[in-house]
Amino acid sequence: MSLASYAARRATLGLMQVLAVVTLVFFLVEALPGDAAVALAGDSPDPARIAQIRAAMGLDRPALERFADWLTGLPRLDFGESLVSGRPVAQFLSAGIGPTVVLAVLTLLLLLPISVLVGVLAALREGSLLDRALTSVSVALHSIPEFALAVVLIAVFGVQLGWLPPTAVGADVLAEPAVLVLPLVVLLARPICSISRLVRAGMVDALASDYVRHARRLGIGETWVRFAHALPNALAPAVQQVARTTDWLLGGVIVVEAVFVIPGLGTVLVDAVAARDLPVVQGLAVVFAVTTVAVNLLADLVGFRLAPRAEVVV
Amino acid sequence: MKRVGIGGLLIVVPLALALLGPLFVPEELTRSAPFMPLGLLGTDFVGRDTWHQVLAGGQTVVLVALLATALSYVVGVPYGVVAATARLRLVDEVLMRPLDVLLAVPSLLVLILVAAITGQGLVVLVGIVTLVNFPDVARLSRATALEIAGRPALEAMRMQGESWWQTSIVYTGRSMLRTLAADLGVRLTAALYLVASASFLGVGVPPDAADWAVMVDRNRGGLFLQPWAVVVPALLIISLSIGLNLVFDRALRKVRT
Amino acid sequence: MSLNRRGFLGLTSGLAVVTLAGCGSNATSASSTPRTGGRLRAAFAGGGAKEVLDPHLANLFVEAARSKAMFDKLADLGGDVSPQPRLAEKWEPNADLTRWRITLREAVFHDGRPVRAQDVLASYARILDPNRAFRAKSSLALIDLPNSRAVDDRTVEFALKRPFAEFPNALAAFGAYIVPEGAEDFTKPIGSGAFSFVSFEPGRSVLLKRNPAYWEGAPLLDELEFVIANEESARTNALLGGQVEYAHDLTPTTARSHASGDRMTIHRSPNSAVQAFAMKVDRPPFDNRDLREALFLLADRPQLVESVLAGSGQVGNDLFGKGYQHYADLPQRQRDLDRAKFLIRKAGAEGLVVKLDTSTAAAGMVEAATVFADQAKGSGLTIEVVQGNKDSYWADTLKNGSLSSFRSGAMPIETHVAQRLLSGSGTNVTKWARPEFDALYEKAVSTSDATARTRAYQEMQRVLHTEGGYLMWGFADWIVGAKPNVGGISTAPANTLDWARFDKVWLG
Repeated sequence: MSLASYAARRATLGLMQVLAVVTLVFFLVEALPGDAAVALAGDSPDPARIAQIRAAMGLDRPALERFADWLTGLPRLDFGESLVSGRPVAQFLSAGIGPTVVLAVLTLLLLLPISVLVGVLAALREGSLLDRALTSVSVALHSIPEFALAVVLIAVFGVQLGWLPPTAVGADVLAEPAVLVLPLVVLLARPICSISRLVRAGMVDALASDYVRHARRLGIGETWVRFAHALPNALAPAVQQVARTTDWLLGGVIVVEAVFVIPGLGTVLVDAVAARDLPVVQGLAVVFAVTTVAVNLLADLVGFRLAPRAEVVV
Repeated sequence: MKRVGIGGLLIVVPLALALLGPLFVPEELTRSAPFMPLGLLGTDFVGRDTWHQVLAGGQTVVLVALLATALSYVVGVPYGVVAATARLRLVDEVLMRPLDVLLAVPSLLVLILVAAITGQGLVVLVGIVTLVNFPDVARLSRATALEIAGRPALEAMRMQGESWWQTSIVYTGRSMLRTLAADLGVRLTAALYLVASASFLGVGVPPDAADWAVMVDRNRGGLFLQPWAVVVPALLIISLSIGLNLVFDRALRKVRT
Repeated sequence: MSLNRRGFLGLTSGLAVVTLAGCGSNATSASSTPRTGGRLRAAFAGGGAKEVLDPHLANLFVEAARSKAMFDKLADLGGDVSPQPRLAEKWEPNADLTRWRITLREAVFHDGRPVRAQDVLASYARILDPNRAFRAKSSLALIDLPNSRAVDDRTVEFALKRPFAEFPNALAAFGAYIVPEGAEDFTKPIGSGAFSFVSFEPGRSVLLKRNPAYWEGAPLLDELEFVIANEESARTNALLGGQVEYAHDLTPTTARSHASGDRMTIHRSPNSAVQAFAMKVDRPPFDNRDLREALFLLADRPQLVESVLAGSGQVGNDLFGKGYQHYADLPQRQRDLDRAKFLIRKAGAEGLVVKLDTSTAAAGMVEAATVFADQAKGSGLTIEVVQGNKDSYWADTLKNGSLSSFRSGAMPIETHVAQRLLSGSGTNVTKWARPEFDALYEKAVSTSDATARTRAYQEMQRVLHTEGGYLMWGFADWIVGAKPNVGGISTAPANTLDWARFDKVWLG
């Protein structure tokens, strides 16, 4: 299969994925107990008032009709309006996307070099003390939830030592990069483990494989064997995993945004779900789904180049 | 041998606490003010004895993580193998395309939504963790099985007229073991992590349950007053994860040599 | 008031002493002399998408605090939760309490226009618009707007649909702010409050500046910035890290962790939030009066306060509004397991399993529910805690179940009764609907005789205390943290005028 037809097939699939996601999310949110009117009424749930709010929000129309309305706006990139505040959903998305993208991109940029380094180091010294130490530390970090790690880091570096700002309250993320240090450490901790382990396993396998043995027999230098022959093969699954990480990153971002007070998409999502603000949740689902699909597509294409067999992992 | 010692010890301590701990919790629980230096490890955020909570709280974390991981393999491996070995391309497509769709769903969004719809309960938690893990297992199994199916050895077996059972299950299964085992350690850790995060996200467990993961979340407010209430359960979870990974690594090396 | 995450965690009862000492924030040396100038950054929990600057839509604490800074009501609640005149200089009812003449203070909006009687009528007309659902609507519903009029620019005469002695309570209702006539667009709000609007980023921050022409005297601060931090730990950390000077709504554990340090001063407002269990009296099993009394007697209130509120509060006596105007000081109810057992047997409820609905809609509720379930062990009655969805909790428990967790902020006792305990009340969780009780309420609010009114309030509370549906076990303190150099922070209960009020606050 050529790269072009492969890409075309994947793009069609991607479109279907996005549609499936928004439909799924719509019905899941519809199935949540209570609606936007109930959530807004909060602790004064006077039924008469709830009915009024519901009518004002247009929630008395059938769900399918509202969904169809929303879908027809989608091709024009019209995401509708927030039920609760009446502001356009696009406004929420554009306000929240900046900090989240900054966090996610920085994480991904740092992630690959660090985890490849760790993985390769561990693989070259397989079974050694270094290997076990690296494994243990990264597994430990992998099993701690972000909130727990964040709490400890903030307590030590933010509050007790005062080296770094403990939160990003009121700060412009780009103007004060110091506020990003702790959130990035927290976000990196987990994926470094999963990816470096994949790199390590791939490297160990590659170094023991026939063609590396063959390359060695041919008298090619050990460094060259390792980095020009073994590493690219070890990287293919790692790239796949990086793509999976973007999805996970979203989860990490929700927690990190809450703990460090970064007003990004994760915060918007949690607020919107709590408020049952369906159009906002829908808009976010589109953004997340498109991103996930795009990143996976990109990773598969890269994987296709690195090792054409990777197609089977689609 | 020493390596088993470390890894084994790291597993045994939390596992023993989790399984046997509940037997040592006194019937009548004492209650006093929160985060006071009473008892072995002080009191927790609602004034219960932290040590009793540690004893009682391992069962759910460990069982949910183990159960959910086991379930995702029980469902995911046959799913992937069937997709890979099916003679009809259509079967493969029908099985794997829905997973591609699932892949694009932000798992955390689904986690929050599904939990809000179905409510609390350990069964829900097991279900969600399985749901998040299963597509990965299925894809991995399919990829591995495909790769093995292409091996010369298998083709030779097929030509010799070995049964489908022999080729697909016995040979393929054995060859897959290594890859799956390598995956298992990380996946168990990931399950432990998901269970531990559930409390923070308000998914699955009541906010004052006796549960290591809940303890880490709910006692963090008192970190400056009674750090043990956070540190001890967190260390137990970490120790279990490291232990599992060390033991699996070692088992893997043995399989290969 | 909408409920934000509030963890009632940590802190010992032994700290009750510190509580009292901590109240006198003005005693702190660094902040003892008022100074002008500076920008105060205050961290609150926010609502993201829900946040609005329209004061009539205010729902969250941060919205209430912002509205208060930019707008005024005709009246507001004092420290004892009784109405105090604000934009209204005075109020005078006629003899049968159906017409109220209100004289306005000389005040101007931020754009220089005077606050006139027409603005007041227009604001109330907006709130009462039948097509909209503002929170203050139910409180103002008894105003007969077509027959109310502006006597002159500074005098309003309200006609009421029925005699109502507590009309000033309505003027102080949550969200009943006075906006300029015709105001609909609140992207750049104009009010008459102590601070005027500068900028707004939804879910992030609102910047306000001093209004030098404020009728009560210009505030001491130059600027006031509200920033949003939903996590309590984040508000605390921002305060410790010097990123804000004021952190609203902290937990007792935080208070205890940092009370002795020099990085923050803790300010506590007692009697701010009542914690309770609500029994529905219109259905089994709690239509049985003996069983309700049994539950009253099962509760070990000191233990609930100690472990759930971490000692940062006081025990309740099944009556709303401890320390508020008209509160009836009846003998404190104590745990009496033997009598409770006897009553449960008498009610034929031995072996009965009762579901207690709760959720994390307000922090501390689930914990209180489990502690209470523990306390009921051995009584013959089994309480089974069921956790529901937090976002729809209040609407769910209004309709369903028979026993649920309950929590409420401060409001006048009259308002509590009107909204929750009359046959026609919109949020009657306990389903307490009794003609003779309604009549008692009518008597209290329609008489101009203050002693008769007090007597009627006492009588209502006596009935509720004996056989009502609310088991009110405690009152939580409201906790605010500030930099030690911040002075002038009041410790009035949350929801009252002086709570989260910044025009009297200064940076030392």
